[in-house]
Parts: sequence; structure tokens; C-alpha cells
Amino acid sequence: MSELKVGIISCSGEECLGGTISRLATRKVLEELKLVATVTLCLPLYLAGGVEERDFAKVFPTISVDGCDKLCAKRSTEKYSGKINGFIDVSKIIGNETALNTKVIRNKDLTDEHLQMVDQVASEIVKTISNISPDSYSGKTFGGCGCGS
Amino acid sequence: MVENYAVLPCNGLDKCAGVISGELAIKLCQDAKNEIICPVFYRIADAKYNKIASEHPLLVIDGCQTKCASKLAAEKNLKISRKVTITEEAKKHNIELNRNLRLNENENALIEIILNGLNNDTEKVTLLSDESKFSSDFEYEIFQNGKFIFRVPRNPEVYFNENDCWAYVIGNRARIGVTDFVQQNLSDILYFTPPEIGSEIDQFGEVGEIESSKSVFELISPVSGKVISINETLEQKPELINENPYELGWIAEIELTDFDSDKELLIGFDKYFEIMKKKTEDSNV
Amino acid sequence: MYKKVKVVPCSGIGKVFGLMAREAVLKTVLELCPEKSETVCLAYIVTGDIEVKEKIEGSNCITVDGCPKMCAAKNVSIAGGLVIEKLRVIDTVKEHKGKKFGSPTQLDADGEVVISEIAAKIAKKINELN
Repeated sequence: MSELKVGIISCSGEECLGGTISRLATRKVLEELKLVATVTLCLPLYLAGGVEERDFAKVFPTISVDGCDKLCAKRSTEKYSGKINGFIDVSKIIGNETALNTKVIRNKDLTDEHLQMVDQVASEIVKTISNISPDSYSGKTFGGCGCGS
Repeated sequence: MVENYAVLPCNGLDKCAGVISGELAIKLCQDAKNEIICPVFYRIADAKYNKIASEHPLLVIDGCQTKCASKLAAEKNLKISRKVTITEEAKKHNIELNRNLRLNENENALIEIILNGLNNDTEKVTLLSDESKFSSDFEYEIFQNGKFIFRVPRNPEVYFNENDCWAYVIGNRARIGVTDFVQQNLSDILYFTPPEIGSEIDQFGEVGEIESSKSVFELISPVSGKVISINETLEQKPELINENPYELGWIAEIELTDFDSDKELLIGFDKYFEIMKKKTEDSNV
Repeated sequence: MYKKVKVVPCSGIGKVFGLMAREAVLKTVLELCPEKSETVCLAYIVTGDIEVKEKIEGSNCITVDGCPKMCAAKNVSIAGGLVIEKLRVIDTVKEHKGKKFGSPTQLDADGEVVISEIAAKIAKKINELN
């Protein structure tokens, strides 16, 4: 049986600050907080039909991280892979006005205030992952024959 | 000359060399049983010419170094059996081409020289035309680690070395490449350095290189022999190795010299699958 | 009234090329051509409502994809955008053999050089339209 892993599917929305914070918080969880069993799923590839991403989310517990209340990552995961195990709306953490109305910025222009927001959201991601019940794991495994296409 | 080429000229109207490419293609298809591919029509509707290209070895005629016909072949994922570049041939035979688009004495002389050259070049054509024996009928066993999928062909004709390279052996030839373990570890492959055609390779000798932004991977040949063909499409599209390293992403074809000995040091599907699984779990791709 | 060119990156989170696509587009719409271009979230184009579909449909679009999967180009075309240019980060990266560009989180100096080149290509295409 496959080892338990958790997928994180994050928006990277370029139209508002929330997207930048969402992306950076997800990367922080993966790189610095080093939750060994986490895997990021690429949202654009997921939407374009990426089999590996969609199949992962069907089998392993997956959470979504969205920059704003449009919840693109959450809705996509539910549409293509079924129920999601947790979701984060960054605008609820940093405030709707900050997330949506602040002009989008490049990474090089991030301030200490922005980095604090990243930390806040990253903590929330960790909390959400730790709340996932072991029963969420569907028990399906991958393997077996496949024909070349 | 093998009288069954699919002939793809650039047919360009920018220079005289392009006009020569078209005229040469017409002569090839009038005098022998070759089939012409119209590059303009091929871009719009490819069904007819895909069929022709799949049934015949492909001869590409580029007018100049822009190599439009070669690029079109690469876009359509076609294997080029033979290439002619008109400006190179003109330089080789000290023929100066017109600045306008008319075919005069010099241009017609060049066409005849190239035609004679193609007619005399039977040995090379015979070697290349045997490529069609390598079918893409693989049956895969799949292993998934996280979101990454690793396929290994189960076909008994496919052998592996512990350097994650495979050899698909049919008769006295082998097609070689890298496994999914390599392409997943490298991520997006950006550069392909092929082995030289005609070079002699020892078993476990280096036979080309592929490179991504992460690292360089030197291919270690599973077999010994002479390199008779390379996958030229990879020069424009090395990402095909990521897409499918066993089919579109094959690296080179080798004429085998001592496969009976080579085989003793190679492993089959069962053993390689287990080795690859363990490597994947240990390396955390 | 002049309709801004929509410049859409893939912003793939798993590879440095996704970050490069994102940063090149932001450089274009924020610094190089702010009056003539704007960006639109790719995920919102795919999942969004009538408002974003109307924004994209029939508009001149430039897509910037990190890798050969071409997620932005595919999805923008499906949504009805007129993709006038499909750029791939790896095509510019190939001209800088041997360099490292950073991580999917942060670009280094060579990464910044490459995204400036890509942003210049995008800006050139935008300016050609006027």
C-alpha cells in the first residue's frame, strides 16, 4: 500500500496580492516547514488535464489554498477529483481588502509585512493538514499494467 | 536509389535555392516511385501526408540554412532518413546560384549532380530503411510514487542496465534510450547531445548526453556496436524524452557487434522494475 | 477604446520556469507596458463566470508557459482568447546554457536576466500591435 501523502493545490493568481501570498505560503510549507509527506500539485497543469495531478488528488487527501474568495483551486479540485479535505481562503486570513484590492507585486518588491502574511497563511496550511483524518486516505493504490499510447 | 522515399522540399520562394529544392523534388518523383509532400498543404491538413510519411523513409530537401523543411518535419514528429541542403551542395560543387528565382544552366547542373549523388548512394539508404522494424507496441508496468508515474516496458525484447538506460533489440539492431526514472529526475530536458553517426560504442561506453536545468546525464550504452541513426527530432524537441522516453524520445540506433556477450551483463523487466522502485523511493523524486 | 492585450502566464508552482513565466508577465504589465497590457489569472479564466469569459473571448492574448505542457496556451485558446503569441520560458532558458535560475520560490540574478529578456519579447509584440 502507498505511503500517506497530502497534496496541496494552490492558486498563484496574478491579479491580486492574495495569489502571491497563496503561492509563497504553499512553497514555504513545502521547503522550509518540511512536512515530509506534502506534495504540491500544479494548478495550471491540473486544469489542462494533467493526469498525474488529478489522479493524485483522487487517491491522496488534498487541500486547496486560494488567494481570494473566487476559490478557483478548491472548485477545480472538487470538479475533477472529488471531495477536498480542507481549504484555505487567504482573503479570510489577511482581509478581503488586502487580498483583492492591493495591486499585485513582484517577488522582489515584497515587504516585511507581506512576509508576515506568508507566515500566517503557512501556519494555517500546516494546521489544516494536521487536521486531516487518517480515514481520508482512500486506500487505493497505483500499479499494474498500462498500454503505451 | 531505393525508389520509395517520401520527399519533402522546402519549396521556398525567398531564394533560388528554394526553387531548386522544389524542382529537385519534382524530378525525384517523376523519375522514380517516390512520393512528394507539399509543405504548404502539409501545414494545413496533415492526414494525407502523415500516411505517406509513415509508409516511406523521408528525404528532406532544404534550400538554405533556415532549414524550413527540416523544421516542418520536426514539428510533425517525422524521422528524417536523408537530408539535402541546396546551398551546401552548391558550395561543395563550386556552383554559384542565381540571385533571382530563375533556373538557368548552373542551377540545372546542380540538380543533376544531386540526383546522381542520390542515385549512387544505395548503401546508406539500405541501412536507414530498416528502421521501420522498431514498432511502438510497448506494454508497460506502471509504478507511482506521489504524483509521479514511472513506466517500464515489459516486452521481452527490451533490456536494461543499472544506469537506467534501455535497449530494444530486434535482430542485429538495437534502439536505445533512458527510462522514466531518468526523465522524471531530470525534469524538463532542454539539451540533447547525440552520439556521432558511424562511431563505435563499447557496452557501458558513453553514447550521448541530455541536460536539464537541474543536471547533466550521460547515457551509458547498454550494448556495443556502431551508431547508425540518431533521433534527430530531439535536437529541436528534447522535451519528447520527458513525454515518452521509450517511444518518441528514443536516442539512437545501434548496429550490434556482440549482443550475446552484452546480454550477460544486462537485466530484464522483472529485475529492473524492482531496482527502479527502490531507487525512486530512496531518492524521493 | 483601446482594449488592452491580455498577457497570461501559467505560473506553475512546481518549477522555477513557472515562477519565471509569472515574473516576466508581471514585469511587462507593471513596468514595461502598463497602459497597453494587463494580466488575467489563468485558473479564473478556466473556472470563472461570464464576466471573465467576456473579458477573454475575442481579445488579443499573449501566453507565457513555463514548460512544454503549454497549459496557458491551451486553456486560453479553449476559453476563446485570440492567442497572438505563445511564448515558452524554456526557449529563452536554452540560450543560457549552464546557468542556474533560482527555485520555484525565488529567482536569482540569472533568473532575473532571463525574465527581463522574456518581458522584452512580450513588450515588443504588444508594441507591434499599435
